[in-house]
Amino acid sequence: MGRFIYRRLIHGLIVIFGVTIIVFVVTRMVGDPVQVMLPLESTLEQRAAFEKKLGLDRPIYIQFGEFLGNIARLDFGESLWQKRPAMDIVFEKLPMTILLTAVGIGFACVAAIPLGIIAALRPGGMVDRVTVFGSLLGLSVPQFWLGLLFIVLFAVQFKILPTSGAATPAHIIMPALTMGLPTLARLVMLVRSSMIDELNQQYVKTSFAKGLPFVRVVGLHALRNAGLPVMTLVGWEVIRSLAGYSVVVETVFAWPGIGLTAIQAIERDDLILIQAIVFTAAVCVVAINIAMDFIYKLIDPRLKLT
Amino acid sequence: MKKYGRLLLAAVLMVAAFAGTAQADAQITIALGSEPTTLDPQIREDGGERAVNDNIYDTVLGRTPEGDLIPSLAVRMPELVDAQTWEVTLRSGITFHNGEPLNADAVVYSIKRVIDPEFNSEQISFFSTIKDARATGDLTLHVITDGPDPILPTRLYWLKVVPPKYSKDPKFAENPVGTGPYRFVTWQRGQHIDLVRNEDYWGPAPQITSVRYRFIEEPGTRLAGLMAGEFDLITNLLPEFTAHVPKSVNVLGLEHPIIILNADKGVTRDVRVRKALNYAVDKQALAKGLFEGFAQVAQGQLLSPSFFGYNDQVKAYPYDPDKARKLIQEAGAAGQTIELIGTSGRWLKDRDLVEAVADYWKKAGLDVKVRIFEFNEYLNRLFDRKTRADSIFVVSSNELLDADKSFSAYYKAGGVGASNTDETLADLIDAARSETDEQKRESLYHQAVELAHDQAYFVWLLNIEDIYGLSQRLVWPGRVDARLLVKEMRIQ
Repeated sequence: MGRFIYRRLIHGLIVIFGVTIIVFVVTRMVGDPVQVMLPLESTLEQRAAFEKKLGLDRPIYIQFGEFLGNIARLDFGESLWQKRPAMDIVFEKLPMTILLTAVGIGFACVAAIPLGIIAALRPGGMVDRVTVFGSLLGLSVPQFWLGLLFIVLFAVQFKILPTSGAATPAHIIMPALTMGLPTLARLVMLVRSSMIDELNQQYVKTSFAKGLPFVRVVGLHALRNAGLPVMTLVGWEVIRSLAGYSVVVETVFAWPGIGLTAIQAIERDDLILIQAIVFTAAVCVVAINIAMDFIYKLIDPRLKLT
Repeated sequence: MKKYGRLLLAAVLMVAAFAGTAQADAQITIALGSEPTTLDPQIREDGGERAVNDNIYDTVLGRTPEGDLIPSLAVRMPELVDAQTWEVTLRSGITFHNGEPLNADAVVYSIKRVIDPEFNSEQISFFSTIKDARATGDLTLHVITDGPDPILPTRLYWLKVVPPKYSKDPKFAENPVGTGPYRFVTWQRGQHIDLVRNEDYWGPAPQITSVRYRFIEEPGTRLAGLMAGEFDLITNLLPEFTAHVPKSVNVLGLEHPIIILNADKGVTRDVRVRKALNYAVDKQALAKGLFEGFAQVAQGQLLSPSFFGYNDQVKAYPYDPDKARKLIQEAGAAGQTIELIGTSGRWLKDRDLVEAVADYWKKAGLDVKVRIFEFNEYLNRLFDRKTRADSIFVVSSNELLDADKSFSAYYKAGGVGASNTDETLADLIDAARSETDEQKRESLYHQAVELAHDQAYFVWLLNIEDIYGLSQRLVWPGRVDARLLVKEMRIQ
């Protein structure tokens, strides 16, 4: 176990380090933040002075050395765009995205498991067909369109929910739904197919033959075995949204999260903030992956953590 | 009787309560496209920050909604003492929201703060000619420029005055204090900024008691918020959305989409080709088709009618496709390749404009190569001083409302975006830059406008209108300088 944690941590550090270096190199290769930050009509002298002030005129290896020293202290420096420490911005925005992800994907899980099981109990039945159709619909509808549809329906027409922002608990309903519905669709399909597989296994038939109660067989034995692929998908969905896929939902609902901030930082060529965000995203991905391994072990004690 | 007395009292209280809500109801919500990153008014060059701070701070000079310069914190227009020295006299009795007095020291401090190279303000291009400032009395000061600078009053219209003591506090950028008609209340990052009316304001008391700013990047969501009654004013309303809002206001703005033509190399070297490229484009159709009429045809110059230097004698090249074809043939340019550089998603309808223009040019007989780049890559080409592309699309915006800024950048040989080496034109612009006689200066610009028009150094396309969506109850006529001054708004 100790060995497992040790090895995964080493792997994680390599991944994080690798990602950060790639981001460092790429951001410095493609863009010139000074060009984007100053008004178009600024003179060349003004641009040069500004660049010097930001320290971006120094040789890249010196910048890189400084950058490595900063990472070690988890200090990425001041955001070029916001003029305050990049990590402050990340810590301000990340909780909002975590909240949105938790509510959105939490909702998807809570709804997907019973739906998927019911559909799996009678493949080809009415419930199954409706579920499959609904899932396909949920998978095909673009998220931004779904978000705008919700706004037009619930905020503009019925006026029961606020259009955008994050001021009250009511503000999270529409963004979380928009975020959760495609996830729900993917999850339902997976729960359904995994459960169909499990329910056809010999041990399920044996359990029924032994006279074990229906709920126990389906809800405990079968579901537990079907749980592994489902957990993999949930983990992937969480990673996706924390690593910036939440950007569509956050933009449509003006939700002040990390995805929206990431896209704004990219638009403004804010090297420092982009680095901080990518670094944080990498840490999240690694942490969730390690956590997922533990959850697998919890669900299926036969698995060996190596 | 006692019972009735109570009822009467209750009724009176209720009426009072209603009156109270009516009073408190004079609050509005404005949805902006981007959130300020700091509320220090001197650091960033950022529309979101300006939209809020224009109400918290006063500038030394102001403008009427039509764009004429007027005194604001100054009691009268600045006067020239000698060629490089301007005397500014301030109004008396004004204090900052925290009680610090507004005096000559505060203005001198604000000037020195923003021009300090160590401070590294993004607004430096607005103040680059100011060398020094010193107080000559409690309410009088001298501003010293680097050579004669006729645009100094215009620069003072940009200068927000900050409190000398408090602005050194690190909290200043989050809790701003100015002299303006509204005081800062709170800033919930990512959510909203609240301001409340400054009851001690030196100017006429505004009607709106408090204002909340929300930040919504997605135009469709801003529109939905207005339709749902959550907002009273939204900025940058898309032309195609105007039919859906309760009210809309449109004002001829500061933005000009133009195409810079390379006058020194390639097919555009021939003035006949450059003229043909102007004749070939139906500007009226672009305004109608792409902007739903919320744009005016630019009158052959990179200036709006409200700008200093606008020449009302110069008119747009009319749409004349036959003439364009003939000129191209005369120049022997038929079938030749012209490269047109543009970007996508930076300015309203940027890509559509470039593609429409390319179509017109093709019809005139040229082989047009449209190249759309990501913004940073596009800027590399716009600012490339060594090899100028045949033609580059750009949207120029001029917040100073004075020809100098636009002309120095695009008209004058060697300017960051200029593609000509016309010495005569450059001399006119240089002369105007240091001419302190207003009439002479204006005539220099009139000549420059005419020269550039005759030489067709650009294809002047449109002057875009700013469109705002308003709730039914809000009344606001808009301003040519695009400032969202809440003191000029009222609710019915």
